[in-house]
Amino acid sequence: MVHSIDQYVDVVGAPVVEQLRRLGERLKDIRVVHVNSTREGGGVAEILYWMVPLMNDLGLKASWEVIHGDEGFFGVTKSIHNGLQGYPVQLKKKDWDHYEEINLKNREHLLPVLEEADIVVIHDPQPAALLQMIPNRRGIWIWRAHIDVSRPHHQVWKSLKQYVQDYDASIFSLTSFAQILPHEQFIIAPSIDPLSEKNMPLNKRYVNEIAKAYNLDRSRPLIVQISRFDRFKDPLGVIEAYRITRKVIPIQLVLAGGGATDDPEGKEILDEVYKAAGDDPDIHVLLLPPDAHRQINALQRLADIVIQKSIREGFGLTVTEGLWKGKPVIGGDVGGIRLQVISHYTGYLVNSPEGAAHRIRYLLHHRAKMREMGKTAKEFARENFLLTRQIREYLTLYLYLLKDRGRSVFV
Amino acid sequence: MDMDTVPFYIKDCTLLIKMSGFSPAFDIRDLRERIAQCSPSVIYHHYFENLLAPTFDYPDFRNDFAVWVKRQLDDDVLAERLGMIEPYRFDSLEDLRTHTLDIIDERLSELHFITAVPPGHEFYFQEAITVVFETGHVMNNPGEMFKIMPQLTSSSIYYHFLEARRRTPDLTDDFSLWLENFGSEWEPLIRDLRSIDFIFYSLPELKEELLYIMQQYEVKE
Repeated sequence: MVHSIDQYVDVVGAPVVEQLRRLGERLKDIRVVHVNSTREGGGVAEILYWMVPLMNDLGLKASWEVIHGDEGFFGVTKSIHNGLQGYPVQLKKKDWDHYEEINLKNREHLLPVLEEADIVVIHDPQPAALLQMIPNRRGIWIWRAHIDVSRPHHQVWKSLKQYVQDYDASIFSLTSFAQILPHEQFIIAPSIDPLSEKNMPLNKRYVNEIAKAYNLDRSRPLIVQISRFDRFKDPLGVIEAYRITRKVIPIQLVLAGGGATDDPEGKEILDEVYKAAGDDPDIHVLLLPPDAHRQINALQRLADIVIQKSIREGFGLTVTEGLWKGKPVIGGDVGGIRLQVISHYTGYLVNSPEGAAHRIRYLLHHRAKMREMGKTAKEFARENFLLTRQIREYLTLYLYLLKDRGRSVFV
Repeated sequence: MDMDTVPFYIKDCTLLIKMSGFSPAFDIRDLRERIAQCSPSVIYHHYFENLLAPTFDYPDFRNDFAVWVKRQLDDDVLAERLGMIEPYRFDSLEDLRTHTLDIIDERLSELHFITAVPPGHEFYFQEAITVVFETGHVMNNPGEMFKIMPQLTSSSIYYHFLEARRRTPDLTDDFSLWLENFGSEWEPLIRDLRSIDFIFYSLPELKEELLYIMQQYEVKE
């Protein structure tokens, strides 16, 4: 784990790091507590894993707390998650009661740290009910939504809104995700850590070892989708795109992802994927452990094209990872993928398996275009989607909320 | 004050985007209505601050309205007209707003029907919070400027070269204004800095251009 922001100088340049140090000086000893529902698996845990130590390095007193729940709780919160992304789900009163009950149980061990914090950042719906359970809170509370809430299932959002409307501010990943709430709503796109195991440079020997370990033929094109086995990531659509392309080009496909402790649906979807893949030796369905970051890094580097054919998406960090590795990305025309995949510049947005197959074929026949896209994508990622930008925006938000909240704040 | 040393305190700024509270626009009429009603800070953001917003995009138009009209509404005529607006040439944001509305009204009078975009492609009205802070760097003479310039962030360049035009009396940048303190020998550099056609540059490109110009004078020094 990286503990010092200075280690990023070689990637983003000294001026960017110095800027963060200046902002950090103005927030020295401010106590910031992040709360989410899992230590590993999924983009939120990954962000907090690097963000908390680096915020401490910048002078803040940052900490990361995790709420614990049972299977029933994570079943309910998965349904909430699906409902917020527009999937029709039915949640009964007893489900919401259980949701509150688990939040209340977690309140016991979190109470002292949450009461004393200057800023509390609650990530996603799982711990959102905590706010109402800490009446003696003294700090500013922010609800951070990482998922696409642009067109939520009405009843689910109506119920969740009761828990989030009293926050002091909320953060969404994209403007289109923001919902009407009685407080200020900020837009902060997520980012990736270029020095993490998932994104750091790898030596060729290791990359070759991974190719060998997974029986990948280096002489034929490889398409890779990295994501949880989740219906919104459309792994079955990717297999269909593969089959269409396969009629004319002997491509290989890797569908790789892990499970997260807060995602009970993964097994069911994975079974459907295995069934669709059948006994095709060129479809590699890999269920990876949560700490398989280097393997994922290698698989993305082995790819000719990275694909993320989601039908709903929060931001889509796997897209950023692919772009950072200089790969063109074929992405579903949804959510945060739209922000990152600019057709003809960094990849292509598609709306169907046929569209994905068409773009895979086009790119594989235009290698120079692929290289140009990769180069463009990497520089945009460096400028805008590395963790240094996200840290800067969080620090800016804290300064704004703790100061006089004017349009221009001089500190 | 000694003309050899006039301190220039280098500042930096960071931007935080927030929702304006206005509903999104799905067609040109929506766009016109919201632009007419929104706060000046929304106009400011979409014309000026958008350079600081994180993006993978490299649009050929530099304001968000023109980009949306081109990309989503596919109205090249209106996009070109909006795209050629040079926001720094207006005395006030109200003048800029009025001019924008005139252009949209003109286009509305030419169209036989109005097309709308599907959900997911609408225009969202944003504004931003700017936090401005001292970097701790001070330059006292042009020689120091040449040394410090490569160390400036894109946002510092934005603050002193672009945002400065909203707060300096002659609508110019902080660097050339400061160089005026050092006598006529710097007039060619001042002229070169003021003739940069910055409207088409991204911030990293603008920094490169500034460095390129200054390097020529550094050698002469």
